[in-house]
Amino acid sequence: MGSEARKRSREKLRQQREKEKKAAKRNRTLIVVGAAAAVVLLIVGIGYAILNADRSDGYDGPLADRTLQEDGSVVMADEGVSAPVVEVYADYQCPACRQFELLNGDVLKEQAAEGNAIVHYRPVSIFAQRPAPISSNSLRGGAAARAAADHGVFVEFNDKLFEHQPTEGNEGFTVDELKEWFRETGADEEQAAEFDARVEAEAAVVTRFVEEFLPELTADATEQIGEETLGTMVLSDLINWGEGNGHDPGFLDGTYTGEIIEATGNAYTRYSGDNMFRGTPSVYINGELLDNNSAMTTRGLTEAIASADEGEVDTQPMGEGDGGDPE
Amino acid sequence: MTDTSDDTPTGATPASQPPSRWEGVQPWLTLACRVGLAAVLVTAAVTKFPPALSVQAVEAYDLFPEDLAQLIGYTLPLFELALALLLLAGLATRYVGAVSTLLMIVFIAGIVSAMARGLNIDCGCFGGGGQVDPGETSYGLSIARDIAFGAMGAFIALWPRSPFALDRVLGLFR
Repeated sequence: MGSEARKRSREKLRQQREKEKKAAKRNRTLIVVGAAAAVVLLIVGIGYAILNADRSDGYDGPLADRTLQEDGSVVMADEGVSAPVVEVYADYQCPACRQFELLNGDVLKEQAAEGNAIVHYRPVSIFAQRPAPISSNSLRGGAAARAAADHGVFVEFNDKLFEHQPTEGNEGFTVDELKEWFRETGADEEQAAEFDARVEAEAAVVTRFVEEFLPELTADATEQIGEETLGTMVLSDLINWGEGNGHDPGFLDGTYTGEIIEATGNAYTRYSGDNMFRGTPSVYINGELLDNNSAMTTRGLTEAIASADEGEVDTQPMGEGDGGDPE
Repeated sequence: MTDTSDDTPTGATPASQPPSRWEGVQPWLTLACRVGLAAVLVTAAVTKFPPALSVQAVEAYDLFPEDLAQLIGYTLPLFELALALLLLAGLATRYVGAVSTLLMIVFIAGIVSAMARGLNIDCGCFGGGGQVDPGETSYGLSIARDIAFGAMGAFIALWPRSPFALDRVLGLFR
C-alpha cells in the first residue's frame, strides 16, 4: 500500500511537472510582454514625475507694484527695484500663451514680488488678421485687458482672460463675460461702469475693424500690391498703406483696439537678428529672446532670470492722473 | 503564440523568390524597421519637449477635456520614448510593433477628425502643433507619414524574427 501510494504520487508529480513545463512555455511570451509593459510604465511614470516636478507650486502672495506704460503695456515691479527685465509678449487668443501663463505666470509674479525681476507685460494681437472669431476674440481680449489696466487690475484680468480663453475658432471673450470677470477682480461700481462703457465701445470698434474695414482693405491691397508683398507686411504697415489709399483708419484713433494693433506692429521692429519678434508667446530677458526650453519650463525661466544682469525698461510710465485715453 | 520559427505567414513570401532567400533577408528588414521606427519615435518624443507646448498641441485637436489633454501632453512623448527603447532592445518585438501601428492609427484618426471638423492646426507630430493659417495645413503629408510608420510597425508585428533582439535571448522568435 505504501508503494502504491508512492507510485501514485510519482505519477502525479510527473503530470504536474509536464503541466508546469507547458505552462512555462506558454507563459514565456506573457512574461516578456509583461516585462515590456513594465518598462513602458516605468519610463512613463518616472518621466511624468520628473516633468511634473518642474511645475511651480503657484503663488498667491501680494503682487509687486504695477505701472501702466505710455504704450499700454504694464510693468510689474516694486519701486526702486533693480533687476533683469522680463518682457512677455502674449496674445489672449494664443493657446501657447495660455500654456505659458499656466506654467510660468505665478513664477513671474513671485519673482517680481521678491524683487528678482521686473516683469513687463506687453499684450499684442498677432491674430488680428485671422478669420473671425479668432481675430475678434484676440482684439477684444487685448482691449479689455488694457481697460482693466486703467483700474490697476491688469495682472488679475490677464489671468482671467487666459483662464477663460476660448477654444480657437469659437466665439468668446464676449462683452458680458468681460464685464463679469472685471467685477471678479474686486472693482467698485464706479470702476465697473467705466470699464463697461469702454469695453462696449471697444467691442464695436473691433466688430467694425474685423467685419468691414480689414476685409475691404485686404481686398484692395491684394489687388493693388499683390498677395505676395501683402504676406510680408505687418498689420500696422497695411493700415498705413490703406490710409493713403482711401481706407481711413480714423475710427481706431484713441481706442485700445488701435493701440494694441500698433503695439503689435512695434514689436516686430523692436528687435533684430536672432531676437526678432516672430510670434507669441515671446519672452525676452533684457532684450534677449528666450528659447522654448527656457521660456516654457519653470526651471528654465527661473534660471534665466537668476543668471541675468539688471536691465532697463524701455517704455515710460503713463503720465500721472492720466487713466483714461492713451497718448 | 509559440516560440517556433514559423512566424512567417504563408503566402507572404514573394512567389518569384525561393523561401530560403526571404528567410535570410527578412530578419534584417525587421531590424531595419525596428531601428528606423525607433529613430522616428525618439525624434517625435524629443521635439515635443517642453511638455507645455506638447499640451498645447494636444489641446488644439479640441478632442479632450483640459485635464486629459494635459496628461496626454505630458505622457505621450514618454510613451513614444518607451516604445523606441523596446524596439531597439528587441523586447516583445511583435507586440511593440503592433502597438506602434495602433498608435499611428490613433494619430491618423486624430488628424482626420481635425480635418473633417475644418480645424486649421499643425499635427504636432514632431513638436510644433497648434493653430496655423488657413491653407497652411499639411494633413495629407502627416497622414502619409503616419501610414508609412504604421506599415513599419506592421512589418515588425508580422515578422518579429530579427537579430540583436532580447527576445532571442529569452527564447522568443528565434
